[in-house]
Amino acid sequence: MIAIEKVGKNFGSTTVLDGVELAIAPGEVVSILGASGSGKSTLIRCINGLETVDAGRITVDGFDVAEKAGLAEARRRSATVFQLFNLYPHMTALENVMLAPTMVLKRPRAEVEAEARALLERVGLAARAEAYPAQLSGGQRQRVGICRALAMKPRYLLLDEVTSALDPEMTAEVLAILAQLAREGTTMLFVTHEIEFARRISTRVVFLEKGRIEVNLPTAEFFSEAGGLANPRIARFLSRMAAPEAAAPLSPAPTDAHEAS
Amino acid sequence: MAFDLTVLVPYLGQLADGALLTAEACFFAVLGSFVCGTLAAFAATSAEPGLRRIAGAYTGLFRNIPFIVQLFFFYFGLPEIGLYIDAFTTGCIALSIAGGAYAADVLRAGILSVDPGVVEAAKVSGLTRLATFRLIVLPIALRASVRPLGSVFINLILTSSILSTITLNELTGAAKIVASTTFRPFEVYFVLLVVYAGLTYLMSLAISLLHRRLNRYMAEG
Repeated sequence: MIAIEKVGKNFGSTTVLDGVELAIAPGEVVSILGASGSGKSTLIRCINGLETVDAGRITVDGFDVAEKAGLAEARRRSATVFQLFNLYPHMTALENVMLAPTMVLKRPRAEVEAEARALLERVGLAARAEAYPAQLSGGQRQRVGICRALAMKPRYLLLDEVTSALDPEMTAEVLAILAQLAREGTTMLFVTHEIEFARRISTRVVFLEKGRIEVNLPTAEFFSEAGGLANPRIARFLSRMAAPEAAAPLSPAPTDAHEAS
Repeated sequence: MAFDLTVLVPYLGQLADGALLTAEACFFAVLGSFVCGTLAAFAATSAEPGLRRIAGAYTGLFRNIPFIVQLFFFYFGLPEIGLYIDAFTTGCIALSIAGGAYAADVLRAGILSVDPGVVEAAKVSGLTRLATFRLIVLPIALRASVRPLGSVFINLILTSSILSTITLNELTGAAKIVASTTFRPFEVYFVLLVVYAGLTYLMSLAISLLHRRLNRYMAEG
């Protein structure tokens, strides 16, 4: 279980996370929705120790990520997939997937390679195992990114806006794989702007607003009129994200002479 | 006196010996400066302020002292305190330390150009800091730094001529002797010019090949 207890985080004078309380139990798929700048990505970066929290505590299966040994153990239990893939550019797809299992878990190469090839095959990249990241499309790169995370056999998969840098077609490729992982019972914390997809695969949806958890509800309830949609902020967010044509027309550029001077 | 290279024929062996010694010294100096530079660049980009200061002092110091002074200090100064090192070893060490200070700066810039996201991916996967540096940061930084590093190495070849001042009869030292025995400095130094140009050309060729090979698949991050 990932337990986030009263977590606060500031960047200078800006409060990014403010008393966030959240628990992710094994088997859950928790989607985190929210506007850009609401602290979604920062929350993931606090869980995997890329940022330190200023208040509160985060534990992964009881291991406190604020402690050196705890963080090392927490990082073995979770794996992160990044928005911009962050593949190792000087290594082939296969080498990218194999690096951590061989170097961190010290497992035998032959065994790791067989597993890595099986993972790549599962995401339809068996034929691209020897390709370098620069030779792959964005969607293919992100599929390698997912394989790299899965190769560590993590209990928790942290997904940080993994489709934001992809066009719709590539997004579909990646989401299909995530849907499959969700069906197989992979525990996931899924920071996303893909609302429809979050609705289909998550067990729970969290809405983050200005660093606070506005709503934390089971998926069906979140999307019901009496549940999440009863919150005007969420209703507005969902209507804009889901149906961009319903968004307010562009307001005319300000022409006020006083303001200009 | 007409320009006549044939007068040098009896001395070719001597000049070739000198060229070989230069090549050997440069080989060790390139290796040594790469090692010194890598260590210093690791320290310079470390999170540890103490290490960063040491690296800063090293590059600052050795880039701001004339090489010939460093060399004299090692060769003529150190024996005063009981440290005797032969001329060849002293030369290689001095070149390595001086070249390392320049290589460190080049590598530091390469390291800073590595996409921080890629480093974060390595960290999060549980790689130790040293493993991340060795397997991710350094190989990527090297790809960006090969060419400027080549300039440092070429400079090292040129600087190696100064080793002739500490009794080492490398190419320049050998040429001086030949020039003073034949009284044909024009021909001797003409040959010297050509050989140095050849050596540095070989180095830049090797660097170009290495650059192309390392960056085969690095079209973009």
